[in-house]
Amino acid sequence: MPDSFNMENLPFSLLSEQEQKLLRNHLDIGYFQRGETLIAAGQEPEGLFIIMKGRVGESDLSDASGDTEEKSHNVFVHYEDEDYFGGWSVLNGKAIHNFIAVEETICHILPTRILLDLIAGNPMFADYFQQNLTAKREIADQYGQSQDMAEFMLARITDGIIREPLIVPEKTSLREATQLMREHKADCVLAKRGNRYGMVTGTDLLDAVVLNGKPLEEDVADIASYRLISIDPEDYLFNALIMMTQQQIERVVVMRGNELCGVVELTDVLSHFSSHSHVIGLRVERAKTVEELRQAARGLTELIKALISTGVRIRFTMELLAAMNGRILGKLFDLLIPVDMRPHVCLIVMGSEGRGEQIMKTDQDNGLIYRDGLDWPGMHDAMKIFSDTLISFGFPPCPGNIMVSNPEWVNTTSDWAAKLSRWAESCEGTSVMNLAIAVDGKPVAGNSALFKAARGAFLRNIRNNDIFYSHFARASLNFETPLTFFGSLKDKGQLDVKKGGVFPIVHGVRTMALEHRILETNTFKRIEALVEMGQMQKSMGDNLSEALALFIQQRLKQQIIRVDESDTGIDETPNMVDLQKLSKLDRELLRDALRIVKDFKKFLTLHYHLSN
Amino acid sequence: MILPRTIRRFKERREHRDGPYAELFEAYKGDEVVSLDCETTSLDVSKAEILSIGAVRIKGRKVMTSDRLDIRLKPPASLTGESIKIHKIRAADLVNGIEVEEALEQVLAFVGNRPILGYYVNYDIKVIDKFMRPIYGFGLPNKAVELSHVYHDIIKWKSIGGDIDLRFDTISKKLDVPIIERHTALGDAITVALMYVRLKHGSPPSVG
Repeated sequence: MPDSFNMENLPFSLLSEQEQKLLRNHLDIGYFQRGETLIAAGQEPEGLFIIMKGRVGESDLSDASGDTEEKSHNVFVHYEDEDYFGGWSVLNGKAIHNFIAVEETICHILPTRILLDLIAGNPMFADYFQQNLTAKREIADQYGQSQDMAEFMLARITDGIIREPLIVPEKTSLREATQLMREHKADCVLAKRGNRYGMVTGTDLLDAVVLNGKPLEEDVADIASYRLISIDPEDYLFNALIMMTQQQIERVVVMRGNELCGVVELTDVLSHFSSHSHVIGLRVERAKTVEELRQAARGLTELIKALISTGVRIRFTMELLAAMNGRILGKLFDLLIPVDMRPHVCLIVMGSEGRGEQIMKTDQDNGLIYRDGLDWPGMHDAMKIFSDTLISFGFPPCPGNIMVSNPEWVNTTSDWAAKLSRWAESCEGTSVMNLAIAVDGKPVAGNSALFKAARGAFLRNIRNNDIFYSHFARASLNFETPLTFFGSLKDKGQLDVKKGGVFPIVHGVRTMALEHRILETNTFKRIEALVEMGQMQKSMGDNLSEALALFIQQRLKQQIIRVDESDTGIDETPNMVDLQKLSKLDRELLRDALRIVKDFKKFLTLHYHLSN
Repeated sequence: MILPRTIRRFKERREHRDGPYAELFEAYKGDEVVSLDCETTSLDVSKAEILSIGAVRIKGRKVMTSDRLDIRLKPPASLTGESIKIHKIRAADLVNGIEVEEALEQVLAFVGNRPILGYYVNYDIKVIDKFMRPIYGFGLPNKAVELSHVYHDIIKWKSIGGDIDLRFDTISKKLDVPIIERHTALGDAITVALMYVRLKHGSPPSVG
């Protein structure tokens, strides 16, 4: 096959020249019409599909009845240019989802046999491959799909968590053994007696000396346990976990035949799994102290990185992150707020967090609403601790100081409603911005009825107030969308996607959502609701969603690079997209997206009578 | 003597029906088509020499790129100036090329009695025939499928009056099929194969 297949994409770039040749030699090209099934649930797939052109949806509908409209309802992943799919199904022997062409699609097909050969021959490729599948499974799990253990099943003992064993010869004293363990930071030692190994753990040493009164000169080999539980390095990590659970032990010895390879510890196994979303979720739920919660929150960053680097659709990553952040905030709330106060307060997140549209860890934008007349003298101190703890979790403080530690953002239900209304009446810039942030608010912990009451009061207040909507909508025209009259990208250098693209869409949609009393805060969901109500044409809604996702994705791609390149790990210009760094295709897409923004602004101008 | 291809095929079929290449002359019963393309030194059949031959089988809606022919021949003396500008094949690119006899042997083995598909396929067949006849005593007996005719037959119902643009790039654009390595024999063969599959199995392309 000539260069129609792009080997520069991961994971194919991990293959050696020889392996790439093998892959090239076995690729076929398939053509599929819209609506045609590429892989059917329950069937063995032909192989791995890599899209050249077109779009394929993965859906969970196992029966093929119903019209396309209904079918597309359950599509939870779309695959497009150069995306690949079917790998999990290949490894699993059969597919559990349907893969159906949403558009006419041309794809490369790599037969199962060759894929398995490549996976077997190249551990890096296999790793990447499996990690990617895992990430995709996360999405499936988020959508309540089969909660199977596939992701665990795939990891093997050799996946880099074997610890080097600390081996001591016979006749080593308890004192020396302890000394060595300390030096090597090991918490167990293997004593060699003849050609057998016996394990001595820290607990064994304590028991021997403290409880059984053995002298420190005693031979460590005498207290070792020689009935070792061992596992093959090629075995699944999950089996090690089962073994440990069954035997109630915390380490197993890894043996290749008769050769000792090392030790696997329970903590390592658990941390290996710690970056999986539901494990993080579990850890968050189970956290009993702030410290435990902090540990769980750390895993989140890794998860996001993994999701992003493996190209999971941005919308799902955002939803996942929003859900996880919500759980962390909720848990921290439970840990820090006294039980008797919880029914009387409501914690809300606002801004991008409230919309569920943040990816990189962004500023905290949160506030508290409490019952009218609540008497809680310690409230301010508790809120201060809450904000500080979040900062220590790696959620940066808000530069605009929109945090519960700021009394401005801690209000009673009626004060909150009044504040919103006051902002709505004012024409001044800060008020509009504050209101924009506040109306994206979403309760995450405590008594959400308090929040709903305030929101209801505010919405009643602004109903039919056309002047307000017109005024509020105007902000979305504040920044020029960088297109020349001819529609090509104006700036050759940098583009501020937030001003030029993200904000006009988000704010315009926000205004329309307010007008039509849509309670959703997520922009994509707001768009869906507007379309459903007939307030926005479906084509416009689809375009806006696509454009917004594109802006966020392009921004994120460059953010990650900048963060990696900077010494401080901080991105100074988070909203800038360097046009030179984009591929031709990306530039074209960006241009189309900006055109959509431009059209949307025209629409807003007409709809809200905003002539310039 | 110049005979129309149909008559000549008929004649050659009779002559070789019982020869060693008899199976090439049998009517094809399967569902496969071979997309074939040659890069040559000239567009004039009498002057043209073959530089490379690319071919790929099409089975149903699949282009079997895993099973393909990608032959480079020894550089001919006529490989100069003008044609190099088009196909960008220099003598240096053909150092490991094979003799035309061997190339033809491979082509016959690959194609068998399947129909041959191409873009202006008659040209490619004529050039191959020119080298085949002196060696085998017959030309390619296969049925020829002309991509631009397939395209024309489908699109003519949708365009009212006027000529239909049958240029390679236009067709590929209309069909929204990616062009794979234009002006390499194999690349063109694959692109043509994709366009064919798209025409045979997809909805008719829009006009305009």
